[in-house]
Amino acid sequence: MADIALITGGGNGIGRAVALKFATEGIAVVVADWEADAAEKTCAEIRINGADAEAVRVDVRRAGEVKDAVARVLDRRGTIDILANIAGGSFYRKRLEELSWAEWKEVLDINLKGTFLFCRETAPAMIRQKRGRIINTASNYGVTGSALRTPYSAAKAGVIGFSKSLALELASDGVLVNVVAPGPTDTPRVMEGWDPEARQKRAAEIPLGRNGTPEDIAEAFYFLSSPASAQITGQTLHVNGGWVMP
Amino acid sequence: MTPMRLKGKSAVVTGGAQGIGRAIVLGLAREATNIAVADLQRDKAEEVAAEARNFGVTAIAVQTDVASEESVANLARQALGRFERVDILVNDAGIFPQARVTEITEEIWDRVLDVNLGGNFLCCRAFVPSMRAQKSGRIISIASGIAHTGAVAGAHYAASKAGIVGFIKALAREVGPDGVTANAVCPNIIDTELPRSHRTPAELHERLVRNPLGYAMQPEDLVGTVLFLASDAASYITGQAVNVNCGTVMI
Repeated sequence: MADIALITGGGNGIGRAVALKFATEGIAVVVADWEADAAEKTCAEIRINGADAEAVRVDVRRAGEVKDAVARVLDRRGTIDILANIAGGSFYRKRLEELSWAEWKEVLDINLKGTFLFCRETAPAMIRQKRGRIINTASNYGVTGSALRTPYSAAKAGVIGFSKSLALELASDGVLVNVVAPGPTDTPRVMEGWDPEARQKRAAEIPLGRNGTPEDIAEAFYFLSSPASAQITGQTLHVNGGWVMP
Repeated sequence: MTPMRLKGKSAVVTGGAQGIGRAIVLGLAREATNIAVADLQRDKAEEVAAEARNFGVTAIAVQTDVASEESVANLARQALGRFERVDILVNDAGIFPQARVTEITEEIWDRVLDVNLGGNFLCCRAFVPSMRAQKSGRIISIASGIAHTGAVAGAHYAASKAGIVGFIKALAREVGPDGVTANAVCPNIIDTELPRSHRTPAELHERLVRNPLGYAMQPEDLVGTVLFLASDAASYITGQAVNVNCGTVMI
């Protein structure tokens, strides 16, 4: 039977690319996104090729919604073998003094609490079958910090600390927990916010000479879900063209 | 130790009523720094402020919930009202209710993240504007070695402490041009109330000395690093997470 993967933020950008990659590799995918249409669109792309995909609408910040979404998937599919927490974003570019408490919490909740909630709801199924892969998403900014992105830097650094702890907790149950930290990546959302000249300038600063693509990042997610990474846990894999070497 | 030239400066120390925070308050007081002791525990904060005054400095206690905007705003009003400027902010307030991920309730998650990490945000936001205006300031946040290693039954705590390190790096980039530095200090296990609460004395001792120096760290052992980071000697150091851990973690 095919492995079942649950991918949050699967409607767009990196999440969408991961869903498509997993499907290509014969993994059945559940695409979770707070934009139901986007999740459906990703699934439709996958189903064109005859692969198995279903969409789930969920706001990762809401504990009740996450619990229900995971329960429904387990009910229908029996288990979840791979969890890829990709829903996230930096949302604001503001100085510390200009950020409200609500904005701080929004960024922390989407990037960090959502990751926790999905791990908490999914881990018992993986523990039961003594097998599972959890792949969370950080950012180079979690390691280097970024001016005007204090909450995002905090949240992404937090994802790394959280994932190391979870890796320790689940190791004896055969569940591996790792992190992918993308660098500058040409997702539709990032492309919107950049003028082409600034993007070219950034690309020139990257040792490999170009921004990453969602497909580059998806390869790292697939690697960390595959037997090839069976001895890797608690680690952060930076995929950034050599831009940051922590 | 050589005097650190902190005489006449003023500091705010959150979580200053006990453990590491109290040691930092008294260490700063010995250096003739005026201090606001901010803590949820009002009576204990008053006692520590009184101890600090024995060194001849001005010290006040301000009951503070660092996860409350109103409470932190009150802290800023009290401290800036009394001292006119705050040179040093030490973010130490933190909690660690142990639980495995599958058992962490939403309430516990929110409280750990709001106090340990959100408190850093709120306190820095409250004091950064005056530090920018005076073109100088030192922000020192107590993180943890667990930020780097993770810990079983501590995923929420690790998230919050690693979050502090990420936050401090971003903040250091933001406030650097205005002469403000931001650093984190990462201790590993220290002999305080917090680790005592869930271990027998024998277990605690065994755990405390399990490091290359074979030494059981006391809260006072962090003070030298905090004073250094607060002093002119460290004016070229920012965005760093300084490990003070007897070599437990080397990163």
